[in-house]
Amino acid sequence: MRAAEAVPDDASPTRCRIVDAAYACIARDGIGAATVEGIAREAGVARATVYRTFPGGRDELVSAAVTQAVIDFFAGLRADIGEVDDVTTLLERGLVAARRRLDRHEVLQRALQDEADQIVPRLATVMPTVVDLLRADLAERLARERLRPGVDVAEAADLLARLSLSLIGSPGRWDMDDPDAVRRLVRGRLLAGVLDT
Amino acid sequence: MSQAVPAPSAVDREPLDAVVDRWAAEFVESDDAERHLVEAALVCIARWGVRKTSLDDIAREAGVSRATAYRVFPGGKDRLVEVVFRHEAGRFLRAVEDELRAAGTLDELMVTGITAVLRLAADHPVLGAVIEHEPELVLPHFAFHQLDRVLAVAEAVCWPHLGRFLPPHEVAPAADLLARVVLTHAFRPAAWVDANDPASVRRLVDTYLLPALTPSTIPATATPAQETSTP
Repeated sequence: MRAAEAVPDDASPTRCRIVDAAYACIARDGIGAATVEGIAREAGVARATVYRTFPGGRDELVSAAVTQAVIDFFAGLRADIGEVDDVTTLLERGLVAARRRLDRHEVLQRALQDEADQIVPRLATVMPTVVDLLRADLAERLARERLRPGVDVAEAADLLARLSLSLIGSPGRWDMDDPDAVRRLVRGRLLAGVLDT
Repeated sequence: MSQAVPAPSAVDREPLDAVVDRWAAEFVESDDAERHLVEAALVCIARWGVRKTSLDDIAREAGVSRATAYRVFPGGKDRLVEVVFRHEAGRFLRAVEDELRAAGTLDELMVTGITAVLRLAADHPVLGAVIEHEPELVLPHFAFHQLDRVLAVAEAVCWPHLGRFLPPHEVAPAADLLARVVLTHAFRPAAWVDANDPASVRRLVDTYLLPALTPSTIPATATPAQETSTP
């Protein structure tokens, strides 16, 4: 399942096949063990084809696989959340569903455990794009809400997107499994300065 | 000094507010030889980054022999980098402590604290350079589970200050959210939050953060000047 709006321009079938193969290799053996050779074999293409599609070599390829995994994650998350019109429900459902998805993501959890220095910087590279997408979703819904005086939709969307990602990645003291706790967090704090209740 | 001692982290035995106090004390009490090498290390790292800096480079910059450098830092470069971090953290905490104590209201406190940290991230010759050019050295310490440790330290640092304005059970959640806000803007500045523009930080605090720190079930204890409609 691919998120249509985030697919790169040069999304040729060959490129997709190679990226999928790279992800499969990483899922099986980890980032460190992934080689261009192994990925080419997995994809059923020549090594030359891989290098032509990814001139940056293994490094570029691994990063592309990580990016695709992030895109797929958020596509799945959208499906989990379903149709939501208001920002409060979006955040409440989003935080809970995202946390659950992250906890169950075996490949990510193993990478964080064994190869943090390989995975974290690559995720950091792709995060600004994720923030942009989140910000757009939030802004769209905020624009339909009654906001407190002085609140700017773009600013609020930016801040909420950043905080959401922080909370999803590192829930810390906040219990994302408890719907009441999530409700208090979203309504009592995150949106307290934003929505005119 | 603090309202209550936070629970010790799983990693450190001693309570975190004591750890943080110790960093500040170490900075003040470090001897000349150590401090001289730390300053030299900062110069080298600002110039070449952490990876390309060796203990020999640092010794040369400090104008001391290799033997001296290794004697002061028998743990080598890694130990030195750790000490450099603690010195700078201690130095920063010392500098900001007085400002924070002088804050007369919760929002003044927040504006002061947020501005200080954002300025540090932007202007510190080493921190800014490392964040920009060697992010892979810094980011893993702030991502996913590792953030828990950072949040615990932030809480310890915030306690004595937030505790002046908030009920005790509100301090930890407040410190958590403030730390997250500060970190995200330190790593990736937003156009509308400018540490050099006090009005923009005040706007962030007054519009978006103050209401989040004083949930509507609790009367706001923020600023006398602020009109609050909470029951």
